[in-house]
Amino acid sequence: MTVGERFRIWSRRWRLDHLTTHLTLGFFALVTVTPYLWLLSTSLKLRTEVFTPTPKWIPWPINFGNYAEVFDRAPFGIFLVNTVLVVSGILAAQLLTITLAAYVFARRKFRGVDLLFLLFLIQMMIPIHATFLPNFLTLRNLDLLNTRVAMMLPFFASGYGTFLLRQAFKQIPRDLEDAAVIDGCSGLRFLWHVLIPLAKPTLVAFGLISLVSHWNDYLWPLIVTDTPDVRTLTIGLGMFVQQESGADWTLLMAATAFVTAPLLVIFLVFQRKFIESFMFSGLKGSR
Amino acid sequence: MRQRWVVGALVLAAAVALAVGPADAASKLIRLTFYYPVGVAGPLAKVIGEMTDKFNKENPGIEVVPVYSGDYDPTLQKVQTAVMAGNPPDIFIVEISELPTLLAMNAVIPLDDYVKKAEGGKYWDDFFPPFRENSVVKGKIWWIPFQRSTPVFYWNKELFKKAGLDPERPPQTWAELKETAKKLTVREGNEVKQWGVTVSGGWNDWLFEAFVRQNGGWLINPEGTKANFDSKEAVEALDYWVDLMHKEKVGPPHSTWGSTPPDFVAQRTAMLYHSTGILTFLRTSAKFDFGVAFMPKNKTFGAEVGGGNLAISRKIPKERQDAAWKFIEWMTSSGNAAQWSLASGYVATRKSAYEVPAMKEFLAKDARYLVARDQLQYAAGKMMAPNFQKIREILKKQLDDAVDGKVNPKEAMATVQKQVEAVIKR
Repeated sequence: MTVGERFRIWSRRWRLDHLTTHLTLGFFALVTVTPYLWLLSTSLKLRTEVFTPTPKWIPWPINFGNYAEVFDRAPFGIFLVNTVLVVSGILAAQLLTITLAAYVFARRKFRGVDLLFLLFLIQMMIPIHATFLPNFLTLRNLDLLNTRVAMMLPFFASGYGTFLLRQAFKQIPRDLEDAAVIDGCSGLRFLWHVLIPLAKPTLVAFGLISLVSHWNDYLWPLIVTDTPDVRTLTIGLGMFVQQESGADWTLLMAATAFVTAPLLVIFLVFQRKFIESFMFSGLKGSR
Repeated sequence: MRQRWVVGALVLAAAVALAVGPADAASKLIRLTFYYPVGVAGPLAKVIGEMTDKFNKENPGIEVVPVYSGDYDPTLQKVQTAVMAGNPPDIFIVEISELPTLLAMNAVIPLDDYVKKAEGGKYWDDFFPPFRENSVVKGKIWWIPFQRSTPVFYWNKELFKKAGLDPERPPQTWAELKETAKKLTVREGNEVKQWGVTVSGGWNDWLFEAFVRQNGGWLINPEGTKANFDSKEAVEALDYWVDLMHKEKVGPPHSTWGSTPPDFVAQRTAMLYHSTGILTFLRTSAKFDFGVAFMPKNKTFGAEVGGGNLAISRKIPKERQDAAWKFIEWMTSSGNAAQWSLASGYVATRKSAYEVPAMKEFLAKDARYLVARDQLQYAAGKMMAPNFQKIREILKKQLDDAVDGKVNPKEAMATVQKQVEAVIKR
């Protein structure tokens, strides 16, 4: 047996080919997770232990007091409830509006459909800040300022979501629709029973993106709300970042850990679907 | 019959009481909205809440509702949106350089009539003169100093000892600072292990103005109509920065406002230019002894002030404005100015605040908090002009390019002058 062959057998036994893959993946996973670990470590430190000449990974003594202080400074429990309500309210409304709009844009033919779709795309390009004042005025006239609805209403329609879903619907072969129509299933029933189940990964992907971006919304909620009973987590988080003196790092990290944890859990639960949706977009009409 | 009549009368009386009572109480109670930013670390949102609660208890007819509105920039945005929508907060705090912006929007009222009558006419003169400066435009007082700061100089006594320097004697002049910084810079090969001095980035435009003051110059006149960036004094000041950060390499050319206090705590820099607002953060975070001093002088000691002021909205009824003034006068009384300073680390805005017993007791324990106040005798107002955000960006870009060695100081300041003039004239 030559050395080369022996090596090949040895490497097959130890799955060396897998090993390199896993090492690479492990490396990138570590790079990705490092900031989060540092965040957790800092959130458990004493203030004097944060900025040491050599970075310390293990907080000692462990100081859970930061978390208690964060909750003492602002009503984070109420903020969490509000955030969940706002984010899920937006998502529910969006799912309804984008599926209907995407269905029309993908499957219905009428005059001006392309122009309308173009207008929808343009809506994606308007910077959100430009819409603040008109939206604020609308909400004031509806007497909705300082409510949770005020934080949701401007996002009920989504150009991005409509675009994403229209593309997904378009990729579903026409034959399926013909077959469905022959079986007497048309219009909304076709949408409900055929299109939506097939586009589920796209819906999940959009849902996660919507969830994350509205979870992290800061300026709009800050502008339309005044009282802590309707405000969201990011506003609480903002209290620990200061323009004149820098941040209160231990508290900021404790608050950030609390604010991001629910998102991480959601992502872990849905990650397979999330990744599938990107695979799906590459397989034209194979489903 | 008679009984029925009594019952009827009672019901009627109750109905009248129900209809009139609460309505009457509601018309008497003035509810004021108060937007405030949080500029320095600490449980300040809570402190503001406690202070307004106390005011509300002492003033039954008024209820001030404090609304936390983020940093200075989001606060300004929230104020602007609300003003433009015709729904302004009654009282608000924004960063002092925004006064011309507020005036351009016609958002605030002059406070002269209130100020004249307050505390038997002695109110206004009790504020430190540099804090008053950013309030006065076109001969009128537009807002009242509240959360105010000024840059100071911090030095690490332990690192001074290690370098064989006298730990109780910080550098007094620009020349001394340069020599001291050279001795305190520690290099391993090409890598800097410890910087001599850090002039914090992010608000470096603010610190630069202090250096120009130390050199006997100024950048924008108090009226906000004339720029003076290409003066000899300003060019020399930038020249000095280039010396420190580019030629001698004893200070980092780039940093952020938030990252330099931690750098100082981690002993990555031996000396630091930063706001007096970080003193409490440093005191509670550093494991070594450090001192606070005036910023070193060149021709003179010099500084300018920063922070936020209290203003009253224009488009609200007179009775609300009167109530709002009552609140502002209360918040800025000697006692409350002292309490706010103790809780936040901001400089107390009034001379008499330093006579308040609690303040005296605190300062007896840590005299470092007095340095910022004492430096005020050399301080002036912060430059301001309409579109100040834009002017800041112009100045910061050239400062950054100059300390990078991309452009020489003279050209840099000429560019700033030209661009700022265009902004001011518009």
